Amino acid sequence: MSEDFESELRAALRPVEPSAEFSRKLLANVTAGEAAPRKPRKLGPGAGRPLVWWFTASLAACLIMAVGIQQHQQQQRLRQTGLEARREVEQALRLTSQKLNLAFEAIKSQSTATDEKSGV
Amino acid sequence: MNEASDLLDAEFARARSGERTALTALVQAHQRSVYSLALRMLGTRDLAEDLTQEVFMQMSANLRGIASNRHLGFWLHQVTSHRAIDQLRRRSRLPMASLEDGAEFFSAEDQTDPLLQRHLRALLAHLSPPARAVLLLRYQEDLDPMDIARTLDMPINTVKSHLKRSLEIMRAESTRISPERCEDRST
Repeated sequence: MSEDFESELRAALRPVEPSAEFSRKLLANVTAGEAAPRKPRKLGPGAGRPLVWWFTASLAACLIMAVGIQQHQQQQRLRQTGLEARREVEQALRLTSQKLNLAFEAIKSQSTATDEKSGV
Repeated sequence: MNEASDLLDAEFARARSGERTALTALVQAHQRSVYSLALRMLGTRDLAEDLTQEVFMQMSANLRGIASNRHLGFWLHQVTSHRAIDQLRRRSRLPMASLEDGAEFFSAEDQTDPLLQRHLRALLAHLSPPARAVLLLRYQEDLDPMDIARTLDMPINTVKSHLKRSLEIMRAESTRISPERCEDRST
């Protein structure tokens, strides 16, 4: 039974020849190294899927790029703001230091004058 | 058989060196196998012709990467099966050949039950794409399970399991359409 069934299956699945017209076109195209124009086929369900897929993929790629560019610009802005703040703090510290030096000098000269007057 | 094989090996060597007549001979030698596999995997002549052409164009472009005519046979089975499985997966609602569409599927040499054979071919459409490829490589191309496993890049046990399960399904379904035939043969 099993062998008979397998024989039936072998007979059912015996290889078939392609049509002579297709065979001729195939040989011509393969030896010429170029694909033959395909027959127009009726649009069925799923026929437009590759196009939809490409459109969706392109849209997704554009969105990812836009988000990436925006994030990069925001990071640049934050970095710029940080650098400006650092410069301002450094400037403020420099001015404070100068003022303290002046105050120290004034106190020091006043103290020397007082000592001279008192004859120490 | 050996002479034919030697002849094809010589044609293969000449085709690799760029001789067009040898390339033609190679295509003629292998087109029946590729077309039949594509037709029974995809179910319609249009799709089978497109796939056959794509496979041979790819072969023509990659001939230098193929070692021998025997390797070419393996390569063609592999590329055709994988491409067909990919197509079937992409288009889950692919139209299948009707029973009437099988005029050229039927060979005049058949001494067996043509109704049962048509039914068996139609049952192929109910198998998953990998199971269909396994069954076709086994019963159409006459490859052994180890070669099928290599061709489809599949573990040998998976190949055997596909074969066993597909045969069970097809035998059960064919008993429904032709019980008396199956009974005759079982006795």
